[in-house]
Amino acid sequence: MYISPGGRVLIYSIFAGYISRSVAGSYDNEGIAIFALQLTYFFWVKSVKTGSVSWAVLTALSYFYMVSAWGGYVFIINLIPLHVFVLLLMGRFSHRIYTAYTTFFILGLILSMQIPFVGFQPVRTSEHMAAVGVFALLNAVAFLKYLQRFLSKQEFRHFFLIAGVAAAAIVFAAVVGLTYAGVIAPWSGRFYSLWDTGYAKIHIPIIASVSEHQPTTWFSMFFDLHILVCTFPVGIWFCIKKINDERVFIVLYALFAAYFAGVMVRLILTLTPVVCVLSAIAFSSMFERYLKDDENPQADQSGKNDNLYDEAGKVRKMPHEQNKDENSIGGNLRIIVLIAALFIILLFVVHCTWVTSNAYSSPSVVLATYDQNGRQILDDFREAYFWLWQNTDDNARIMSWWDYGYQIAGMGNRTTLVDNNTWNNSHIALVGKAMSSTEPKAYDIMTKLDVDYVLVIFGGLIGYSGDDINKFLWMVRIAEGEHPQDIREADYFTAKGEYRVDEEASQTMLNCLMYKLSYYRFGDVRIGGHTGFDRTRNSVIGNKNIDLTYLEEAYTSEHWLVRIYRVKKPWEFNRPRIARSARKIKTKAALTKKTSKKKKGSLKNRPTIVKGKASRTTV
Amino acid sequence: MGRLLRPGLLLLAAVVGLAVAQVRVEELTILSVDRTVDVSSQVVLISNKIKLENTNAASTKVFLFTVEPVLKAHLSFIGASTNNGKTGLKTSIVQIPGNTEALAYKIELATELAKGKTVDLEVEQVFTQHLVPFPSEITQKEKQLVKFVGNHYVYSPYTVKKQSTKVTLSSRNIESFSKLKPYSQSDNIISFGPYENIVPYSQSELIAHYENNSPFLTITKLDRLIEVSHWGNVAVEEKIEIVHTGAKLKGSFSRFDYQREANSGINSIKAFKTILPASAKDVYYRDDIGNISTSNMWSKHDSVELTLRPRFPLFGGWKTRYVLGYNVPSYEYLFAEGSNYALKMRLLDHVFDSMVVEDLSVKIILPEGASNIKFRPPYPVKELARSLHYTYLDVIGRPVITVLSSNLVENHIQDFTVEYTFPKVYMLREPLLIVAAFLILFLTVIIYVRLDFSISSSKPGKGPTGNEVVVENVLRKHGKRAQIYENFDSQLVKLKNNKDSGSFQSALKNMQTEHKTETQAINDIASKHRSEAPELFETITELQRQDRGFWEIYITYSQTVEKFATGKMPRQQFSEQEAQFIRKRDEFAEKINQIIKNL
Repeated sequence: MYISPGGRVLIYSIFAGYISRSVAGSYDNEGIAIFALQLTYFFWVKSVKTGSVSWAVLTALSYFYMVSAWGGYVFIINLIPLHVFVLLLMGRFSHRIYTAYTTFFILGLILSMQIPFVGFQPVRTSEHMAAVGVFALLNAVAFLKYLQRFLSKQEFRHFFLIAGVAAAAIVFAAVVGLTYAGVIAPWSGRFYSLWDTGYAKIHIPIIASVSEHQPTTWFSMFFDLHILVCTFPVGIWFCIKKINDERVFIVLYALFAAYFAGVMVRLILTLTPVVCVLSAIAFSSMFERYLKDDENPQADQSGKNDNLYDEAGKVRKMPHEQNKDENSIGGNLRIIVLIAALFIILLFVVHCTWVTSNAYSSPSVVLATYDQNGRQILDDFREAYFWLWQNTDDNARIMSWWDYGYQIAGMGNRTTLVDNNTWNNSHIALVGKAMSSTEPKAYDIMTKLDVDYVLVIFGGLIGYSGDDINKFLWMVRIAEGEHPQDIREADYFTAKGEYRVDEEASQTMLNCLMYKLSYYRFGDVRIGGHTGFDRTRNSVIGNKNIDLTYLEEAYTSEHWLVRIYRVKKPWEFNRPRIARSARKIKTKAALTKKTSKKKKGSLKNRPTIVKGKASRTTV
Repeated sequence: MGRLLRPGLLLLAAVVGLAVAQVRVEELTILSVDRTVDVSSQVVLISNKIKLENTNAASTKVFLFTVEPVLKAHLSFIGASTNNGKTGLKTSIVQIPGNTEALAYKIELATELAKGKTVDLEVEQVFTQHLVPFPSEITQKEKQLVKFVGNHYVYSPYTVKKQSTKVTLSSRNIESFSKLKPYSQSDNIISFGPYENIVPYSQSELIAHYENNSPFLTITKLDRLIEVSHWGNVAVEEKIEIVHTGAKLKGSFSRFDYQREANSGINSIKAFKTILPASAKDVYYRDDIGNISTSNMWSKHDSVELTLRPRFPLFGGWKTRYVLGYNVPSYEYLFAEGSNYALKMRLLDHVFDSMVVEDLSVKIILPEGASNIKFRPPYPVKELARSLHYTYLDVIGRPVITVLSSNLVENHIQDFTVEYTFPKVYMLREPLLIVAAFLILFLTVIIYVRLDFSISSSKPGKGPTGNEVVVENVLRKHGKRAQIYENFDSQLVKLKNNKDSGSFQSALKNMQTEHKTETQAINDIASKHRSEAPELFETITELQRQDRGFWEIYITYSQTVEKFATGKMPRQQFSEQEAQFIRKRDEFAEKINQIIKNL
């Protein structure tokens, strides 16, 4: 059996269930983006191979699609110039590359600037300057090649040196000059954080706070890629061995994607496609070697059959690189190797299926627990979001941590202060500040921001670890970054420097808004002999009688996962008492219900006032 | 149950000036009325058992029944019957001279009532949104109290000899009630009367203020969609918006209290039951953000019972909405006679017990091509203009009947009938469309593959002749040569395996002749065009030269293989020679391929 190499690539690519990492409601944009990324690269390779303008135009169009879908388009606009640059260094300049790149660059630049979010960035930020530089360089090289026809070798060498150095110096000086002049923005922090894993933690805590932005562990590498971790370097090796223009590209792609995937968990996404392709190359070359038939009785026949459908213009290539030292492999060895390889692939498929069904198929918005009664669905998020949609004013503004911004907008149809678009850090810091301040201070911020409801995620009742108290330190850090005079991270730790919620926690911690909103009335809940036992942090909370002055509980979902508080209007609390004589509207002294039964002096259902609750005395 | 009337609509008709018959009040006497007023749920059910005597001079067939002016806006349903409810009586709205405020109904008796004769009647009324929560806002831990305001007497154009009223409340916890003697109270029932010889149109306010924690749930909007498919399925989808119309929640909601204390939020609604037809299947319960995971379904022998739990408990003033859909087989609802069909389904179906529907809109989508459509409602409804609905594979659109109604209760769960004509042949339309579409697709592909649509043709005779044709011919010949080399390779492998030098020699001879023929052919072509294209000739000569070298190394190698196969050469030496051959061959192949590429 002989499958064409393309077919083999396809077969193995289907295996990689990791491309579907972004299914099930995580990030729709990324799902589209990976497709657009691959399409762009496919068209790019095609246009490099053919040097045709139409393929290059298609590259630019799919690049436009990618720009509109995901910020990761920067990866394309740096990788393709890099490919061209490396080809130039390798002395592989050709008119095909020239046509492909110039067409793609100009169209891609114009198209990408049509996206409002991108705007003039392609000509004004350093991230895009590599593409511009390579464009200039490519034209310079093309010009030199043109001059080469007219100049003698000696003259040309002389000229080349001067022109080359001058051109490079001019381009470099121009970029540096423009950067200093402020026309071109310098590298952004996000860019630095890609190269220096420690950078974000110090300078931009908001990037570091996202779990997807952590450096990848070997475990998650293997979990996502399985055996392909081992086979894809083999693929790179095969590509390097038989290098040509397109293979340079795939090697570069693999190297850079592997590096970025190591820096951020999330970028494994960009690595997976190339891993699939390279592993497919590795496996297919191995099978090609070990599966080839010894006797070729059908070769003639198939040749004739081919000929029947051969178009006249196509020419058979001369026998080439085939039948090479094939007799050096024994039959037994073949079988062993094949079985081993097939076994590995089988394991890989099983692993993929398992991961896809267990780790990536559960929408993170619906939680499931398993106990003796079977599966329990915890649908608290949608419960609370739909409550917001149905039972709050259409113009109500919700304050919550930014993680839930898109969810509230999408499932609750309400305006949020901050959402998953974390481009603007200062607003998020303000919300972080409100959450980390005391109630009166937070109320000031909330009135300034016109907040109607505050939403917090609390996992203490059911032991859900991704809740706001566990994320709270990041809120403090981000708030501290913008408001260092008001918020200090150290205040939220115990004297020993621990982050705790129990009695040993610091007073700042016990009285901040986030703590109060999370644990409001939780001190009354009795779990396993304790009251106010937080199952996520395995400790009894330190502040059991929380009173809220400026907010009131508006809704709490069934498992307390989502808690929504209404911010009271200024006239709803702390109302000064006006003496009865000074009142403009006189009310009756008391409401009496004189019914036939009550007239007789019997006290029935008389309201009694109980001062203080039993639980509140046990501090 | 008798013919029923939609009072609201008819009132509207009266207002806009449509003629409502004026009826004279005849001399009848009501001997006795037993009235039961059920206010234990959110609707008010009043049932009057009337004993009527004709004290008129002549026999009559008309009995008038009136509703108090304050109540008429709340009246949702009225029905009259006789024979212990076995015979329904026809009711219609009329106007009584001298009392224009009251809402009057003419009830046509089953038989003429002769002078001095008596008859037993039963009149049933349902009022919605008449029970008012009082106080209108309560906190989570309070109970819901409601106030019922009615009339101690039967409001009638006739003199009532004797009457008594029994009010059934939902609990024995009564705050207060009006005390018109004689009255008595036991448990949750208050009995008034008997009152005797009450003159026509008497009113005396009856008030009951009592605890009622039964669900006060109003359907503000119900969009019912019925889609008929002649392939055996009727799909029903209901979009429902509900709101808790009981006492509003005052202050905050506390989940802790709600979970720990049984009486906390006693008027809130956690779940309700919906009863679907027994054949309902593929039931779904969802809303704007997906499936609502809190529902249960039981299939009973005569119905499917759903326990629907909204995403969150509904407190006073809270609202929610959802979509409920299911399929039923069409043989239970669609009846045919030739190509005439009749669809008989419920205009309104059960959502929960003692429900109140403010606005109902029913859309019935008939199959594409249905004509002669006649819609027969069970009670007067507002029918909008017919429209068209387009879905997959529709060309002319499916006819849609849209019907609006308002203020409905359970008594309105009745069947409508739609009659239409639908030729059975039309069912084939959609499969044929698909077949045609695929046929066109395949035809297009066939035509595309068979014909050449390229702008510049590389076929000889069409495009520019000369060099291209030459190159083409040369390449074809060379291709054959390449095939010979492939054959050579396989022959060598065969030789290596079976060590049969004889058969190899004969194969070699064949190949040699073939190779010679092709080479000669190329030479001929080249020399023919030497003068026209000298550059091309050069290239072809170069190709020939390389090919000669290639052939030679193959011959040399074949001798080596033969030696090895016959055992005249040790393995090591052979593999060295082989490696050398492969290197050389690749070199040559590279060169030749390069030349071909440049041709």
